[in-house]
Amino acid sequence: MAKVLIKDVTKIYEGNVTAVNKVNIVVEDKEFVVFVGPSGCGKSTTLRMIAGLEEISGGEVIIDDVVVNDIPPKDRNIAMVFQNYALYPHMTVYENMAFGLKIRKFSKTEIEQRVREAARILDIESYLNRKPKALSGGQRQRVALGRAIVRNPKVFLFDEPLSNLDAKLRVQMRAEIIELHNRLQATMIYVTHDQVEAMTMGDKIVVMKDGLIQQIGSPLHLYNNPANRFVAGFIGSPPMNFINLQVTKGPKGIVLDEGSFQLVPAPEHAKYLESYAGKSLTMGIRPEDLHYAEQATAPRIKAKVSVVEPLGAEIHLWARTQNNQFISRVGPQHILRIGQEVSFEPVMEQARYFDMETELSIIPVGQVEAK
Amino acid sequence: MRLAKAGRINVEIFTLLMFIVFLFPFVLVFINSAKTAFEVTQYPLALPSHWSNIFKNIASIWTSPNIRYPASLLSSLLITVLSLVFINLLSSQAAWVLVRTKSRTSTAIFFIFVAAMVIPFQIVMLPLLSWLRAITDFTGIRLLRTYAGMILAYIGFGVSLSIFMFHGFIKSIPLELEEAATIDGCSRFQIFYKIIFPILTPIHVTVLILNGIWIWNDYLLPLLVLGKGNAIQTLPLAVSNFAGAFVKQWDLILTAILMAMIPVVLFFLLAQKYIVKGMVAGSIK
Repeated sequence: MAKVLIKDVTKIYEGNVTAVNKVNIVVEDKEFVVFVGPSGCGKSTTLRMIAGLEEISGGEVIIDDVVVNDIPPKDRNIAMVFQNYALYPHMTVYENMAFGLKIRKFSKTEIEQRVREAARILDIESYLNRKPKALSGGQRQRVALGRAIVRNPKVFLFDEPLSNLDAKLRVQMRAEIIELHNRLQATMIYVTHDQVEAMTMGDKIVVMKDGLIQQIGSPLHLYNNPANRFVAGFIGSPPMNFINLQVTKGPKGIVLDEGSFQLVPAPEHAKYLESYAGKSLTMGIRPEDLHYAEQATAPRIKAKVSVVEPLGAEIHLWARTQNNQFISRVGPQHILRIGQEVSFEPVMEQARYFDMETELSIIPVGQVEAK
Repeated sequence: MRLAKAGRINVEIFTLLMFIVFLFPFVLVFINSAKTAFEVTQYPLALPSHWSNIFKNIASIWTSPNIRYPASLLSSLLITVLSLVFINLLSSQAAWVLVRTKSRTSTAIFFIFVAAMVIPFQIVMLPLLSWLRAITDFTGIRLLRTYAGMILAYIGFGVSLSIFMFHGFIKSIPLELEEAATIDGCSRFQIFYKIIFPILTPIHVTVLILNGIWIWNDYLLPLLVLGKGNAIQTLPLAVSNFAGAFVKQWDLILTAILMAMIPVVLFFLLAQKYIVKGMVAGSIK
């Protein structure tokens, strides 16, 4: 298997549009790396440059110590799974899977053996004689996976492969791809805009926006230590709450003032916030760290319920203060109605702080965690 | 309910009437092929007195030195088949390149092809002859009164509509298919012939039918390029030999038309499934 190095890779389209800007990523051997970000962030373009489907405007893509910039896709020893499956409609499932091997002039017995083995792994043996149009979305995606597996490539590339599937099937296929990764122990690079997929599948996540890498790290590292406001808001569902606060330094230390309530930061955070005295900053707090408080303890946020979303196991509770709106995860036992006055108790140790101008985390996020 | 049923009956009656109108010329040709020249002019709408006349007429056409039916049939087949093969090969490849090359030049070229469809043949027929003559003078390759010239002319007139049709269909083929083939190891040539070409089957058949019927039945272009009294003549040219300035042998003309019609009708019946597919494919895919 292979290590993939992406060094200062840039993609500039006609008309001087920069889609990817000096991106540096290291994909270790056997690692499952997910590129995640909103539409137009450059994640797919980066993947396509690794595949060789897109020319590289600057920088280098290195697969197993070989610079592949000028090597055609077929000689890069990669396989790619596309969002819309890209199965050849005039060929049967067997022919689709065998096509790449046939073009590479593998012997008939070798092709047969590899296709049968892949079909067995993916449980599509009974569809081998069918045409793609006679398959469901999930089955088609399995065939697309099979087409990649038979080639036994150094690197698997996935370009939003589950986006066309319904929610239930997506969860199932997600698990199957993870299982496949564990089984094949292959280097896999996976592109998605779905942060849940990124969190659940990746050993390492690369968060991108506007052609730039925002942060690279393990899923939990990104969740707990977002480098900037974008990553904080993008990773996690429901998303992190952001509250703009005025920082004041009083006799008891740093106080954060929202207008309708005041908060005291955790002692380990206070030292980083001192330089912001007299200025404003953004505090981020995850919905699960904004506890719904029936009994009064300090500090508190008083707000009015605006939306109640019961999900069965929990309730997503939206509430408004004069200046802000929050979302909180609340236990299913609470009966709440719109307009009701409620109190929240933020877990200040879990709060994150961002500069309002640069949007960077004020508290150092630490090094990228190893796999 | 009752209204809907009445509407359906009206539609069916209308369809039946249209069927009769469209079938009428065929019936006329068929029944008059089994008559003598006298019978055709006297009772054109009546059924023939002896159906066996049809075989007599066929035999006299087959052997007539005036029309040279077997040779003409062969010429027609050769010209039609070769023209169709080239039209399909060239226009599908051209359309593929035009769709996949996103530049102003490719758009301009495409529009030139589309614009060529609206120019009436009569406007370009004389310049065409001068061009064919000029090419012969320049290269020494004879194009007038030859198969090469005839086929070249058909390719020229056939490709615009064909490129237009292929272009529309290819646009609906996702680019990812070609990218998947690239990663699978295909060259550009293999991508076209192993992936795109087979997917185009319904459009190929539609293009074959549309061009095939026109080329098979065409009279004016062969008359200009091949000319009268040439060793190479197509069936419509041959049939016209029965129509002299003073006498028209209607019995033989109609039988010859019937015989010329059969290959097209057979082809149409065999390929019917694909024609319908091809007609709707572009719109729903």
